[in-house]
Amino acid sequence: MRLYAIAIYLFLYSPIAIIVLFSFNAGRHASDFTGLSVKWYGKVLSNPFAMEALTTSLTVALASAIFASVFGTMAALGLQKVKGRVRVVYDAAIYVAIMIPGIVIGIATLIALVTAFKFLNPALQEFWPSWLGNVPKLNMGYTSLIGAHTMFTMALVIVIVRSRAAGMDRALIEASADLYATPWGTFWQITFPQIFPAILAGFLLSFTFSFDDFIIAFFVAGTETTLPIYVFSSIRRGVTPEINAIGTMVLLTSLALLVAAQFLLRYRDRQSSKINS
Amino acid sequence: MKSSLVHRLLLLPATMWLLVMLVLPLLVVIIFSFGDRGPAGGYVPGFSLDQYANLPARFTAFKNTMILAPAGTLAALLIAYPLAYYLAVKANPNIKTVLLVMIIVPFWTSILIRTYAWIYILGGQGIPKMLEFFGVEGVRLINTPYSVLIGIIYGYLPLMVFPIYVSLEKLDKRLLEASQDLGASPIRTFRNVTLPLSIPGIATGCMLVFILLMGEFLIPALLGGGKVFFIGNALVDLFLQSRNWAYGSAVATTLVIVMLLTVSIYMKLMMRGSNIREEVSLL
Amino acid sequence: MSKDNQSITKKQFMKELWRFKNGSISRRQFLGVTGLGVATSVLAGAMPALIPRKAWSASDIGDRVVLATWPNYHDPANFEKFTEVTGAHVQVNVFGSNEEMLAKLQAGGSGWDVFVPTNYTITTYVGEDLIEPLELSKIPNYAAEAFDPRFSDAGSVDGTVYAVPKNWGTTGYVVNNKHTDGRKLTSWKDFWDISMNEFTGRTMVHDYQLTTIGNALKYFGYSFNSVDPAELADAEKLLLEVKPHLFAINSDYQPPLRNGDAWMSMCWTGDGKQLNTDIPEMEYVLGVEGGEIWSDYFAVPRGAEHPDAGYALIDFMLDPAVNAKEVLAHGYPVADSRTNDLLPKELLEDPILYPAQELLDALEFGAAATLTDPNRAELLARFKAA
Repeated sequence: MRLYAIAIYLFLYSPIAIIVLFSFNAGRHASDFTGLSVKWYGKVLSNPFAMEALTTSLTVALASAIFASVFGTMAALGLQKVKGRVRVVYDAAIYVAIMIPGIVIGIATLIALVTAFKFLNPALQEFWPSWLGNVPKLNMGYTSLIGAHTMFTMALVIVIVRSRAAGMDRALIEASADLYATPWGTFWQITFPQIFPAILAGFLLSFTFSFDDFIIAFFVAGTETTLPIYVFSSIRRGVTPEINAIGTMVLLTSLALLVAAQFLLRYRDRQSSKINS
Repeated sequence: MKSSLVHRLLLLPATMWLLVMLVLPLLVVIIFSFGDRGPAGGYVPGFSLDQYANLPARFTAFKNTMILAPAGTLAALLIAYPLAYYLAVKANPNIKTVLLVMIIVPFWTSILIRTYAWIYILGGQGIPKMLEFFGVEGVRLINTPYSVLIGIIYGYLPLMVFPIYVSLEKLDKRLLEASQDLGASPIRTFRNVTLPLSIPGIATGCMLVFILLMGEFLIPALLGGGKVFFIGNALVDLFLQSRNWAYGSAVATTLVIVMLLTVSIYMKLMMRGSNIREEVSLL
Repeated sequence: MSKDNQSITKKQFMKELWRFKNGSISRRQFLGVTGLGVATSVLAGAMPALIPRKAWSASDIGDRVVLATWPNYHDPANFEKFTEVTGAHVQVNVFGSNEEMLAKLQAGGSGWDVFVPTNYTITTYVGEDLIEPLELSKIPNYAAEAFDPRFSDAGSVDGTVYAVPKNWGTTGYVVNNKHTDGRKLTSWKDFWDISMNEFTGRTMVHDYQLTTIGNALKYFGYSFNSVDPAELADAEKLLLEVKPHLFAINSDYQPPLRNGDAWMSMCWTGDGKQLNTDIPEMEYVLGVEGGEIWSDYFAVPRGAEHPDAGYALIDFMLDPAVNAKEVLAHGYPVADSRTNDLLPKELLEDPILYPAQELLDALEFGAAATLTDPNRAELLARFKAA
């Protein structure tokens, strides 16, 4: 049993070992390992395209995680009181949104927006009031990326928050209302603290999904380059250790964040136990 | 009355979002699937079932998907289950969290880079060379269905391990002891106690992996050498090479329908098979 | 190859004169094509440092330029040099087929500033309004008269210049002779036959309908550009028969050939040269039945975001000194006599870059109809999906 577990961990980590090892390769190709060097890290950090791709990915992931958790939470709370046909339709839409393959989301968004822009751009050209300055040209980019990512992740947030809200202690809410708290006050004092872990989980899940998504972005990113798209086009050009350096850095950053979060939690636990005693 | 208005307002942004980014695009795909390819590619309006009539041209891609998706799910399950069992039941509680986190850590670097590392491992310079060292000659892995299967197992293992772990974790260890005390063999204990209790986890894990596999594109593209073709690859080709939006839309529509049908049937079976109704969910 | 292409027959001269009179070519082109401008170009070519006015160093062009091109088609050092001189970094996106480039542009928002289409696609780009007419004043290093018209004609459509020549080359195959037991492969028939036998699991074909279907058509002696349904059906049958024996369908074939996973692949001139230089057993073969001869161009897509940087990059690449370095790195011939003057003699006589005349004579340029033919597109998709 233990041996088996060790074998699986080896399986999980052998590609990681390769990635990290080759990120220190002094040579250009994976096939010739010519010695150790950190030059590829310097190359990545001074490469404006890699850095811009990283910024784009972070922006898109952050924006769609925020939209998804705010609107998703609102919808999950709103759905509590909605019954009947509306509810059935809504549930079906969420089900479809989660179930549909990313590739179909990507393609559908692409052709719908390209077609819509074909009509909208000439219309804008025609009706745009001149005092507003240059006519804007609608195109694929940040908006379509954030839009498509949020669509999927918002559905995730709705499901997560709803299941948490369903297990919520209703007595507290009723008590609060009995004590003449405003609905707004009740929300912040009672409901929000209870569903907060679910919102946070949804937010993190949304962020991770959006940050690592390749296939939807591949279709809808337009002129923008996200990190996975950058990696994909670099891989096609022949893998240089630069890509491995990116992978290693992303991995290390996530690890650092995790360790930091652990410390923070422990620290808080210790503080609160001090207060309690 | 007032409360209902508030609730509707709460729903408004999400509703708008779903309408614009989900319903509208899907409608466009359905409409396009009845149209035609433009002379240089793209789409020209029309109304015919020609694109659907041409679906058999992608039969193999559908077939590969319908074989490799369940096979990949099953393989991931078989490999994940013992690990989840080990983590939930056998592992030292002190290092359990670390072990769990260690399963996710590899997934924090891009799936593309990880899959690319597999090209190296499975290619001529990797495992086949090691095997040659041990006297096993002529093994070929890269660009075969096996390499795709390995990539799938690798990519989806955590999605399978976690739900199973969660359901096994909840399992009351005293039940196992009781079963043993009553003289049941370990196999029997497993069959009668452990396995039934972990079914919700298995069901969730399988569904997650299966859904994602149905739309898979990257792993077969990178590890299959353009020879192992999923329906996802066919779609990418139709839109990014042959520029046949009408036919591509018909294939996409068919994929969604096949998928919704398969998953609904699966969920029905699962619910009938046991009373785990509320526990089989996507998450 | 280089110099005698400048000469022109009497008949061609009359034809060009007519085109000039009809206004379908400009005076400058007329002079260039008929060789009257050769004197200037030779002079300029011999002294690259004297070429006047470098647009890219004179003005601020921003800090980036995005280039869509083909695998193994540039000298990375030249991009670094470009960044050094202009401050603009070059992002290189690599594509495996013209269809892929066209699809990306048709879907809008490619983000490219410069791309590298092949001769036969340019009329389609013009027809679809996806390409900008070039402002030649921004490319002072482009001297039309220095280029062999066979490889620069396709850049102009109806007298407007949309693209300037990058390189030309052929599509043959590269075979690792270590595995052939002394047999010499010479034809496409050899290519497909050995793939299904001794080389099973070791052959690669392009993920590109023009060449993969075209060279399958060659097996039967049909035209490389055929869109005849019966001939395509034969090609499809062959392709489906070969598919289980292939190592991969991929236009980036160098890595597996180098590490020994693959033994043979459809191949473009420069890749053949690069592989042959590093691994002498790798032989570049042009099928005796024929196949493709092509020329690639630099062009600017409609709505490019950094057009100035794009022009600067094109101009930089056409500087004969830079271009010569490119050729030394990638091994594709150029049609620019100024650049050829700077290249070593061995390279200009290299049979990979400049194949024997009888092999060249059998080759065909791709045809515009081949790019857009729905049956060929669908055939390749069926082949891959099978």
